Amino acid sequence: MLEFNATLLAQIADFIILLIFLRLVAYKPLSKLLANRSEHIASNIAAAEQERQEAQQLKAGYEAEMRRARGQAQDIVQKATKAGEDQALEIIESAKNEAVRIKDAALAEIAREKQKAVVELRDQVASLSVLVAGKIIGKKMTDQIQHSMIKDFIKEAGELQ
Amino acid sequence: MLSLEEVEHQLNFWGFPHDPWLVTVGNTQLAFNPKTLIMTWITMVLVAVFFIAATRNMSMRRPKGAQNVLEMIFEFIKGLVDQNMDPKKGASILYLVVTYMVFILFSNLIGLVPTLGSPTADYNTTLGLALCTFVMIYVMGLRYKGLGYFKHYLKPFFFFLPINIIEDLAKPVTLTFRLYGNIYAGEVLIAVLLGLLGGWTHVFGGFLASLAWLAFSIFVGCIQAFIFTMLSIAYFSQAVSEGH
Repeated sequence: MLEFNATLLAQIADFIILLIFLRLVAYKPLSKLLANRSEHIASNIAAAEQERQEAQQLKAGYEAEMRRARGQAQDIVQKATKAGEDQALEIIESAKNEAVRIKDAALAEIAREKQKAVVELRDQVASLSVLVAGKIIGKKMTDQIQHSMIKDFIKEAGELQ
Repeated sequence: MLSLEEVEHQLNFWGFPHDPWLVTVGNTQLAFNPKTLIMTWITMVLVAVFFIAATRNMSMRRPKGAQNVLEMIFEFIKGLVDQNMDPKKGASILYLVVTYMVFILFSNLIGLVPTLGSPTADYNTTLGLALCTFVMIYVMGLRYKGLGYFKHYLKPFFFFLPINIIEDLAKPVTLTFRLYGNIYAGEVLIAVLLGLLGGWTHVFGGFLASLAWLAFSIFVGCIQAFIFTMLSIAYFSQAVSEGH
């Protein structure tokens, strides 16, 4: 029923020829390309992982640095605040001192002026007395004169004030 | 209604000789089936053209066109081989099984073109391919296990010797007739449907049966190419596997 003939041999030969031909022409470059591609992908993945690691290290470094900088900034602010408060206290202190000094000076001035005024008043009273005495001596003393003189005297004294 | 012979005669548009070519070498006369051989050569040329088109101007970053198709087939078969055996051992038969897949697929599908025929619809072709597998099983076994490969005939007991021999001989026989039967039956049924429904029926949709059968034959052709390849891989992996 089945009659195998020489076609069998021819087909084996055909298939082997095809296999050798494809191996020479197609499979070599194809498998080389696939190997290249998988190598390329593997190296890309490795590079990406390495880069990620480096980025993480960098990030950690930056974060540490930022924390340090923040701490330093806080310190600086604290110091500045303290210095400012100290300075404010100093300024208030010196202002108070200045005020006291000015007040003292003013008081001293007042006292001196008062002294001066009293001295001047005494001088005036003395000269007035001399003037009055002169007038009493120069004129006849009547009641009227005496009266008017005393009135003048009082008036003058009043003007002195 | 036409008989199968009449349909085949009418379909012989290209004038394939019906009688075998006879070549006498020495005292022996060799007979060749002309249609099978011619169709095989056409298929070989098509496979070669496909491979050359796919591997010319290959691009590593942006594969396109035929390169994509070939890469898909190649990676698919490579995946099967790597799953079934040590990839280092598998590399030596990888090209063989990829060629099986593509060649058988092309052979099966070319027979669906009206007036052409499948090389695989001839049992000489399928036996030839199966014998390649059969020989390669022993080559692989001897290469990776040495003469100790033949010990597997005595396992698990000495009495299993005949069963193991039958098992080994059954491999090429089943490979041969599974492929041949499926493809030949497909071609016969295409011819029978043409004869049965011939004449006026194409006006009333009689061609739908042929159409459905063609679609099914495409499916069967792909499946059979895959099965032949897959079974070959399984046999090779059996031959090289350790601890058996």
